[in-house]
Amino acid sequence: MNNMHKFIDIVGEDNFSDKIEDLIPYSYDASINVYRPDALIWPETKEQISQIVTIANKKGVPIIPRGAGTSLSGGVIAIEGGIVIDVSKMNKIIEIKIEDRYATVQPGVICDDLNKELSKYKFIFPPDPASSSVSTIGGNVATNAGGIKGAKYGTTRDYVLGLEVVIPTGEIMHTGAHTMKCVSGYDLPKLFTGSEGTLGVITEVTLKINPVPLHAMTAMATFDRLEDAGHAISETMTGSNLIPSVMEILDKVTLKSIRENTSLELPECEAMLLTETDGYTWQEVEAQMMVILEIFKKNNPLTIKTAKEEKERMELWEARKGAYATLSRISTGVLDDVTVPISKFTDLLVGVQEISKKRGLVIGTYGHAGDGNLHPQILYDTYDPEQVKKMEMVESDLFHLAVSLNGTLTGEHGIGLSKADYMGLEHDSVEMEVMKKIKKALDPNNIMNPGKMALHF
Amino acid sequence: MEIEGFNFPEGLYYEKNHFWGRVEDDLIVMGMNDYAQLMSGEIVYIGLPPLGKKLKQGKNFTKMESGKWLGKVYAVVSGELVEVNEELEENAKLINDDPFGKGWMFKIKPDNLDELDNLMTDPDEIGEWIRGEIVEHGVAS
Amino acid sequence: MSEPLELSKKYQHMVTQCSRCGFCRMVCPIFDITKNWATNAGGKMVLIKEIIDEKTKPSEGIAKSLLNCTTCMNCTINCPSGVDPPEVIRAARKDMVNLGYDNMFKAMSDVIAKTGNLYGEEEKPDWGHKHEKAPYVLFVGCVGTYRERESVEKTIKLLDILGVKFTMIDEVCCSGVLEDVGYQARKELARHNINEFHRTGAKTLITTCPYCYRTFKNHPFYKDLNLELKHITQFLAEYDFKVKTDKKVTYHDPCDLGRHEGIYEEPRQIIRKIAPNFVEPERTRENAMCCGAGGGVRGSFPKESITIARNRLRKIIEETGAEILLTECPSCLHNFRNAKLRRWNIEIYNITEFIAILYKEMDVRETVAA
Repeated sequence: MNNMHKFIDIVGEDNFSDKIEDLIPYSYDASINVYRPDALIWPETKEQISQIVTIANKKGVPIIPRGAGTSLSGGVIAIEGGIVIDVSKMNKIIEIKIEDRYATVQPGVICDDLNKELSKYKFIFPPDPASSSVSTIGGNVATNAGGIKGAKYGTTRDYVLGLEVVIPTGEIMHTGAHTMKCVSGYDLPKLFTGSEGTLGVITEVTLKINPVPLHAMTAMATFDRLEDAGHAISETMTGSNLIPSVMEILDKVTLKSIRENTSLELPECEAMLLTETDGYTWQEVEAQMMVILEIFKKNNPLTIKTAKEEKERMELWEARKGAYATLSRISTGVLDDVTVPISKFTDLLVGVQEISKKRGLVIGTYGHAGDGNLHPQILYDTYDPEQVKKMEMVESDLFHLAVSLNGTLTGEHGIGLSKADYMGLEHDSVEMEVMKKIKKALDPNNIMNPGKMALHF
Repeated sequence: MEIEGFNFPEGLYYEKNHFWGRVEDDLIVMGMNDYAQLMSGEIVYIGLPPLGKKLKQGKNFTKMESGKWLGKVYAVVSGELVEVNEELEENAKLINDDPFGKGWMFKIKPDNLDELDNLMTDPDEIGEWIRGEIVEHGVAS
Repeated sequence: MSEPLELSKKYQHMVTQCSRCGFCRMVCPIFDITKNWATNAGGKMVLIKEIIDEKTKPSEGIAKSLLNCTTCMNCTINCPSGVDPPEVIRAARKDMVNLGYDNMFKAMSDVIAKTGNLYGEEEKPDWGHKHEKAPYVLFVGCVGTYRERESVEKTIKLLDILGVKFTMIDEVCCSGVLEDVGYQARKELARHNINEFHRTGAKTLITTCPYCYRTFKNHPFYKDLNLELKHITQFLAEYDFKVKTDKKVTYHDPCDLGRHEGIYEEPRQIIRKIAPNFVEPERTRENAMCCGAGGGVRGSFPKESITIARNRLRKIIEETGAEILLTECPSCLHNFRNAKLRRWNIEIYNITEFIAILYKEMDVRETVAA
């Protein structure tokens, strides 16, 4: 690559690398896609990013924005080579303005670190993806990260008030507002959120923040039939006059893995539901939980247990958040996040079990039952070409199933590379054309994370 | 001036522990010489003693370290330590990069300027001494 | 010649288990300062996997990159996928050396063989305390002897004050560190130490250095030790001390003592007796952040090593407001003392050193009073 010295001039030697021992790890994220970039840059300012992108645009060099690199869909993989821009050094919380209910951060701020700071004011940025202890706000915005609190509190997009982005032609764009509502001009923050780094490099994020509910209570219920768990979920989410703050599911395979690899004693069952209610008073929290427990009782549970102590609650959530990595102790896997309308969740659960039987691969299932978002983790031996083929067939089955249930390929991980081939299942040609037009308008030389989301032009 | 390929600026006073002194108004600035910085490798630490410490010419009063080596720092003149180069606290490498400039170490209020007569200024004398050092220790870092 | 990568290949399953979840990013002292995924455990697992799978050839640069790890095990205990990166990295370092990528520690190995210590120092210290026989034998190790001598002198003084009947030997380096950096410990040095220990007739070996402790306890060259082995904190945990301080004191768990050997309680037992105003840092016990000195990093990346110590120190000061930082490891002590900025008003000691100082202060007070 002959322009490297220009980039070194911008960021300094210490913030640039094209050494193979650095390039190899950066060829990977948490998906199974592997492509080697040509160089790595760790910028420290938005101006540096602007200069880098301006040159890259002129020279046709691909730019891949990257946060913590925990993408599950190949979102940060340099499929066409180019330069990975790792924003980890831009990790300052710029401003917390409680009286205006927002916080402004650089893209490299870790999700949990932001919440640690906000907790001092008893505020919170609610989306908490399982990777929140390592993933960056930049990455969360680029993928519209969801998380465990999604059932009641929505996803990252619901909290992005404003963005600063270096767009593919190199200019720094400010968009959005510091107000709770704004309909002035096109809603660009909403467009850029979830755009998976294909429309620019995010350099600043202004997020709406919520006061922390004073009380919360967790409950756990086990079932020996998926259908019972599924009914308990949909009845709670749409038939109870309330919305729990969390509604998660873990299946037999996942529970076994957690049981065998942590100190947590989780029971044997077909499925476990973890739910949480929160509120301003204990009475409200308990009253809501009573309603949910009544619904559980009507659906043939094996066991029901509540947890009010902080330690117990935290242990359960830690186990849930570590499910992905814990399952990988059994075998490597591919983690998907197919999402369906709430009423179709049971069909999805049962469908996944059938696919697993049909294709002969173990699938650990868990996920955000409350918003219809399942995480089937397909376990297979990466060294066995037969199993690799089976895994691909399972993925195809899963995507077809989800779409047939009126659902979507991805609730929160993004399309990236992993699901690009299936875009046509969900999006018709009219919609794909509109997306491609937008991409081309902003990124005429297709340098910004090219090859993703099937947005070829 | 250059002696055996090493920088030995004129007007400075040199001594056999490889430190140098320079008169600056009524103080003596001291540091380490070019040969020694090469031999020691990248300096990562130098102890900066509290101000007011009483120093004696030729006596070691603090330590410095590179990755592989711990060395004693010797006072070039007797007197009171009145200033330390605080830049060295987080960037001791300045001693390697600019041993006679930004890599200066300490400023001493001298008791007796006559002590400078004990140090070397003559290029021939310095040359002979450095050649001896090179024979004994080599020039690899 | 052995097959290249024979040691790394044993870990093929483990490196495959790495799910690249990135949880190791938040606890790694090297990643903390570089923000470079390649220097983090997960990045290294990926690199080693490519080498094992023969997708990438080893190189000088890769061998050097593998040295950039303090083997602190913070990643291991936080890894949900059950990977032990330091274990894998240690094996890979040995394979790199076998493939011909010698590193600076080859010279160190020669120096240790020639002079009996890590630093090539010719001078042997005279601690006194050379008795013919004694029930306890004390071993202090290279780092204490040659880099924090005053601290060792005070520890010895404390044992005298407490009336411990101990002797010391003509020490040579335990040489355990060579195993961590791609080489082997030196059998002849182990033999020398064991013979010296046995000559004293002591029943118990006390060591002040957690790394020597690990080596004596675990290395096959010391299997003939046949002595009860204690780190000095284990030895002194049940003692009573006549001194106290009301200053705010905090404690840094050395990785070699804590995560590696599970010794967390005894140092705290001692500190609570002499410092009732004791606060823990936020990252403590199994989660203590490494000081940056281990795994050979103080030798291979000394500037970064001190920066890591400085960051740990800064955090401890911010979190605890402590006036005194205690630890019981010569390497942690040395790194912290090198790292401390003059404007920080914290004093840093080994526990035993600090107690000896308190005794001296008490003596002075009593003398003045008399």
